[in-house]
Order: sequence, then C-alpha cells, then structure tokens
Amino acid sequence: MTDHAVSSTDRSSPWARFTSQRPTVITMFALLLGLLVGALIIVTTTPAILIAWRDVFHSWTAPFTALKVTFDNVGAAYRTMFVGSVVNPADFWHAVTTGQHWNTALTPISETLTYATPLVIASIGVGIAFQTGIFNIGANGQAILGGIAGATVGSMIHLPTIVHVPLTLAAGIAGGMVAGSIPGLLKAYTGAHEVIVTLMLNYVVALFLIFTLLSTALQLPGQQNDISRTINPTAQLAPLFGASSGLRVNWGLFIAVGVVVFAWWFLDHSSLGFEFRVTGANPHAARASGINSRAVIILVFLISGGLAGLAGIVQAASTTHFIDGGFLIGNAGIGFTAITVALLGRNRPMGTVWASLLFAALGVGGRAMQASTGIPLDLATVIQSSVVLFVATPVLVKEIFRLKGGQSQGVQLATKGWSS
Amino acid sequence: MSVTALSSTPKSLAPRLSGRTRAIGIIMVIIGLFTVTVFALGSLATAKSSVTFNPVNLTVSAPWRVGTLTLPTRWTNLILGAAMIGLGVEVLLRRPRRAVMVRFGAVAVMFLFALLFWAARTTGPSQVNFINLTSVLIGSSALAMVLIYGSLSGVMCERAGVVNIAIEGQFIGGAFIGTMVASTSHSFFLAAFAGAFMGGLLGLILAFLALRYLSDQIIVGVVLVTMLGSLSSYLNLQVFTPFPQYNTGGLAPNLAIPLLSKIPLIGPVFFNQTGFFYLMLALVAIVSFGLFKTRWGLRVRAVGEHPKAAASVGINVVRVRYTNVILGGAIAGTGGVAFMASQGQFQPGYTSGLGYIALAALIFGRWRPSGAVVASVLFGLSVYLADNLQTYQIPVSTEILGMFPYIITIAVVSGLIGRVRPPAADGLPYQRD
Repeated sequence: MTDHAVSSTDRSSPWARFTSQRPTVITMFALLLGLLVGALIIVTTTPAILIAWRDVFHSWTAPFTALKVTFDNVGAAYRTMFVGSVVNPADFWHAVTTGQHWNTALTPISETLTYATPLVIASIGVGIAFQTGIFNIGANGQAILGGIAGATVGSMIHLPTIVHVPLTLAAGIAGGMVAGSIPGLLKAYTGAHEVIVTLMLNYVVALFLIFTLLSTALQLPGQQNDISRTINPTAQLAPLFGASSGLRVNWGLFIAVGVVVFAWWFLDHSSLGFEFRVTGANPHAARASGINSRAVIILVFLISGGLAGLAGIVQAASTTHFIDGGFLIGNAGIGFTAITVALLGRNRPMGTVWASLLFAALGVGGRAMQASTGIPLDLATVIQSSVVLFVATPVLVKEIFRLKGGQSQGVQLATKGWSS
Repeated sequence: MSVTALSSTPKSLAPRLSGRTRAIGIIMVIIGLFTVTVFALGSLATAKSSVTFNPVNLTVSAPWRVGTLTLPTRWTNLILGAAMIGLGVEVLLRRPRRAVMVRFGAVAVMFLFALLFWAARTTGPSQVNFINLTSVLIGSSALAMVLIYGSLSGVMCERAGVVNIAIEGQFIGGAFIGTMVASTSHSFFLAAFAGAFMGGLLGLILAFLALRYLSDQIIVGVVLVTMLGSLSSYLNLQVFTPFPQYNTGGLAPNLAIPLLSKIPLIGPVFFNQTGFFYLMLALVAIVSFGLFKTRWGLRVRAVGEHPKAAASVGINVVRVRYTNVILGGAIAGTGGVAFMASQGQFQPGYTSGLGYIALAALIFGRWRPSGAVVASVLFGLSVYLADNLQTYQIPVSTEILGMFPYIITIAVVSGLIGRVRPPAADGLPYQRD
C-alpha cells in the first residue's frame, strides 16, 4: 500500500512530497492543531480578550486592538511556555557573554529533562505492550506500586550507595511487576480483558498507597498525614551537577537512556521481541507459528509493569525523595501521560523519546505559564490530549490540511472491543 | 486486516464453566465462615446492635415513626453467616447455570450488613451505637443513582457495538455545565437539559472519531476523559475562582410523593427523592423495555451483535450507532448533573472514578439494564460504606473496604462469577463494503 502511495504522489513540488508521506508530518500537524485548540481555549476564557472583542464595534480601531490583545495574550502564554521549558534567550545570552549564571540559563531545560526521565521509562513500557497488541492502561498503578516498594527499600534500609541505589531500583521494578503480573496472569489464564482489569487495579493501588502511608511502618514517624519516610541519601538519584548547582537533572537520565537502548535492542534485535511484535501484528499467525501466546502475554505485562515501576521509583528517588497521598494521582500521573506519549511516539523507542521531551516541555512550560500569566497549568494537559486525539485519527488531520496520498495507518490499534 | 486481537484466549485454554462456578461457591462459603467467626463469634454474647429507621432530618414528609430494632449481634450475624454458607453450598452442590451472580450479590449485601451490625454493636469500640438504616440507604441510593445513569449510558452504547469508556468524562462535563446553568437559571430542569446536551456532544465526538475515522474507541474514550478532567480543572480556575457565583448549583430539592413517602424505610428511599432519581427510574424502565421489547431495540442489538447481518437486512448500522452513542452520552451527562445536584457544586476531580465504576457495574450486570441496576446498588452501597464506616471506628481500614467494587469487577471479568459475554461486535470498527 505504502509503495503504491509513494509512486502515485505528485513529485513535482517539494511541498507535495513533504506532506504526502511520513507519520512525522501528521504528528507535526497534530501538534499544530493541538496548539490551536489551546489558543482557542485561552481566547474564549481570558477576560481581557473577551472584553476587547465585546467592544469591537465601539470604534474603527477597536477590531485591531482586539486582535492585538488576542495575539498578545496567546503569544505571552506560549512564549512563557517555551521560555520556561526550553531556554530563556535573555538568560542564555547573559550566561554566554558574562560566563556567569549558567545555572539560571540551564534551569528550564534541566527541569524538562528531569520531568521527561521517568516519562520516557514508563512510555517505553506502555509502547512495548502496545506493540504486542496489549493496552496497558494500568501503568500508573504499576508506577505507584513501584514507588511504594522502592520507597520502602530506600527509606527503611541502610546500605552503601553502590548497593542501595540498585536495590531500590530493583524493588521499584519488582513492585511494578507484581502489579503488572495480575492483569497478565488473568488475561493469559481466564481471558479477562486487560483494559478493565488494569483500570480497576489503578484504583486498588491508589487506595493501597493511602493505606500504606497511613497504616504501615512506611509512614513518616510522628505524622498523622499520608506521607512516607524520606528516602535515604544513599538511595537517592543524585543531581548530575551536584546539589549546589540547583539543577535537578539527575542520574536517572542515564537509566532512561539505558531503557531506550534496551527497548531498541529488544524490539528489533531479540527473538523474544520479534515474537512480541508478531503477536501484536497478527495473533492468529503467531499462534499458528508456534509462539506461546500465554507466555507472551505474561512476559509483556512483566516487562511493561516493571518499566512502569522503575519509572515510579525514579520519579520518587530523584525529585521529591518521599511519596505522599498525591503521588502520581490524577492527571499528574506519569502512567496516564505515558499512554499518550506512547501513542504520539508510535510505540517506537526514539519516537517515544521525542514525544516524552515534547510532553515534558509542555508540562514544565505549563507551570511557568501559570506562574507568570495566571493561565492554569491544566491547559498543557488539554493540549497534550488533543494532540493525541488528532494523532489517533490521522485521516482527520489529512482532511483538515488536504494532505494527499500516504497510507499512514496511524496508531497501531491495540484493543478491539472487550472480548472479540 | 484481522481485527481479532489478543482479547481472548482460545476456547481450549479457558477453564470449564463448572470449575468457575465451583470457585465462586467456595468463595461464598469462605465469606460466610469469615462472617461467622469474626462478626458473630468475635462479638460478645451480650452485645446488641440497634437499628433505627427514622431519618435524621425530620421534614414535613417524614415517614411514620418506627421504634428501634434491637438485635443480638452474635445471633443475627450467625444467621446471616449461615445463610451465606447455605447459598455457597447450594452453588457448590447444584452448580446452577444461571443466577450465580445474583446469589453472589446477595451474599455480598449480607456481608456488608453483617459488617454494619458488628461495627455498631453496643458494648464495642464504636461511639455511634446504632445504625440508621434509612440514612445508609439514602446515602447509597444517591451514589447508586449516579452509577445507574452511567451504566445505562454504557448499555445504550455497547449494545450498539461502541465501547463508551468516556462515561467519566461525560459525568465531568455534565456536572460542570450543570452547576453553571443551575446557578444562573436556578432551574434543575434546564441544568439537566444542558448536561444531557453536553454529554450528547461528547458522545457525538466519540461516535464521530470512532465511526467515521474508525479510531480505537478505547483510546479515544480514555483521551476524552483526560481532556475533560483537565479542561474542567482549567475552567474551574479560570471561571469559577474569579466568579464563584456561577458555581452555586445547590442541592436538588426532594419531591415527596404524598402518602407513599410516609412508609417507613421505603418511603424516604424511593418516594422522597430528587427529580433526578425519578428520572433515573423512568430511564431504567424505558431502556429495558426499549431494548428488549421494541423493534428499535431489536435493531440496536442486531447492530451490536452482527453489524454485517444487520446491514444486509437494510438497517443503517452507522446511523443506529450514532444515535445510540449520542443518547448514551446524554444519559451520562444527565448523571453528571445529578451528581452535582447531590453535592451542591462542581469541584475538579470529585467524580473520582465513578464513571469507571459505572462501567464495571455494566459488565457485572452483563450488559443488561436490570443487571446494571443491581450491580450499581451493590457498588453504591459499598462505596458509601467505605466513605462512612470510619464513624464506627472499625479496625478494617476504609481504604481496604474501598477496594471492594474494583476487586469484584476484576473477579467478574476474569469469569470467576459466572460467564460474561459482551455484545459480539462491541468495540469493533464497522466499515461499509
């Protein structure tokens, strides 16, 4: 199909060639549409803009004023988002010319990388499941359980750093695997649909988090609130440039890089990964060719859950150093963002990296935007989810932008009903 | 392209039905034994449990007063436990093919009541030494009502073959628009309409993406929930924080039905409720009748089971699906308004997964309105008890109790409690040839 589309494309104009193919193009247009949706929401809910447009018939210049107010507000929002998450040109120029205050200049990008680190890990896990035809919507619960297990090992045991950090991370992975094994085993042995099971487990684990923080030894001694003990310094993921730099980017970054390399090797160069992808592409053919589908289901949940658990403990051990009742709850849950990131990155390791960086930048920038313009940070999540809606319906994007040809299959569909 | 994903294991792998029935019989017996040992023998022989029936707020329509019922805790729970064991043994021996879930539901409700009796025993740790049964039922009925709205919405969509996982989002949208309309117009009637419109709009988006562009319905649903959650939180800060007068929806007034509302226990729960409750009862009747007794329902079910066959006899599959998803969305949106009207205003995130519990109730109820009602009542009762049992200072953590609906649902989809079979074409994209 794809070859046919390429040959039939109008090759005369570079624009046609640019827009005719490649999922990347669709993704970029989807991002553009998402930002437009965000702008539309800003326009319709910011009082200053609405007042300017209400007075649009009062004078000849009013329409221009209204347009200017609109562009100023939307521009300010997106500018602060960029400045807060990538780089502030003024700070950067100051650092280059004077050689001082590099910390200030690098803080935005450091924050984005810090936020992206666990996101990459969790999204790779969700992506591997997607490639196997499994929708692991429970990454958030698995990350929470990983955080609980890791925080327990990290805070209640005293060991030298060289042993303690790996042990803490291993505990996180184990916690995620435990949470992941439940839907895996149930799906393999009873046929229970993983979406329902993982959705329900998310709530079970969230309740379990509150339970452990209120009623077990993990609770910070002398506290009534739902807050855990602090993870010991020997188990924390230290900042790369030392605590004095104020930059929060940390050694977790290398764990994320390792996970990406692992996923690339696993999916493209290992026989097990091949079996996973065959199962995802055509489960009947996989079964017919002797692949043990039951083992694949259980393994994919172990890997996916383990990575989600790793993401949970990396998040806790690198930034807050404790977990509380709000750990990964609601829209802040990296497990939920990971689903959208994996979809945006088309479940490929490198695509996931770019998508994580983008969503991390949107999240971090959203916070900066809230601080400086007062537009709530939730706008970033709205933009993220609309981008994914557009990516999930590539045909719609193509119709909007009149893109020709190309059989971009969009997201590899993972789930088809409850029990087909 | 093959559309049969890994969603089910081959028939040979699935355990036999009777084995599952046996498993559920054993679970019922274990629950019964637990009740006998902990709730019955775990309380003093002299302990008493008092049950009161008079509602807390005595209004004009208060029911006729009834005295307090005092029960010996140990003997009551012994009887309840024996009944549970009896049901379990019956399931084990007879292996009934049908209504296993009903028996399990009965055991679950008996368990919750045994827990209540035990928690409120008078020579016990509790400060509150009585159970106001009417309050318990009124409180759970408010939650059950919202769940029934949600699961009815699911019935409408999934019977036509579209998975509506966005019920939670439709709740949020309905609750948000509902409080705005109710606080500006002071009319819950208009608010319900606005909520239905909002839910229908969200249903339209889902249907549009799923039916026209054949997107993955589950992914679209999940993303819609995320979007609505963050959008409502955004608008809450942008609109409701500077203008709090738009978020004063208030509590819906109770409409007492004369005479019937005077009946103790039944009156306050069924005949002294808000308009949303009566609307819910009507919707349950309409949807059950419509789905199983009318031509329209037959068409809907045909589209959900075998769209190609339905199309071959001239049914417009896509149109039926559009209609049902929009109607289902409207029902869930109304449910969101009903929830708002039982809380008084909108708060971001306060639906806290009720939409997903409604989805679970739909599955527990085997995609039938009647089953969904029973499941919603059970889940509503357990959610209410999880939220309110700390007043009785029981040693069971409320978080553990709160897991109850979710764990039951997992057991249900795993086929532990009878077999669930969704509509055959549920969630499958349909393409005209």
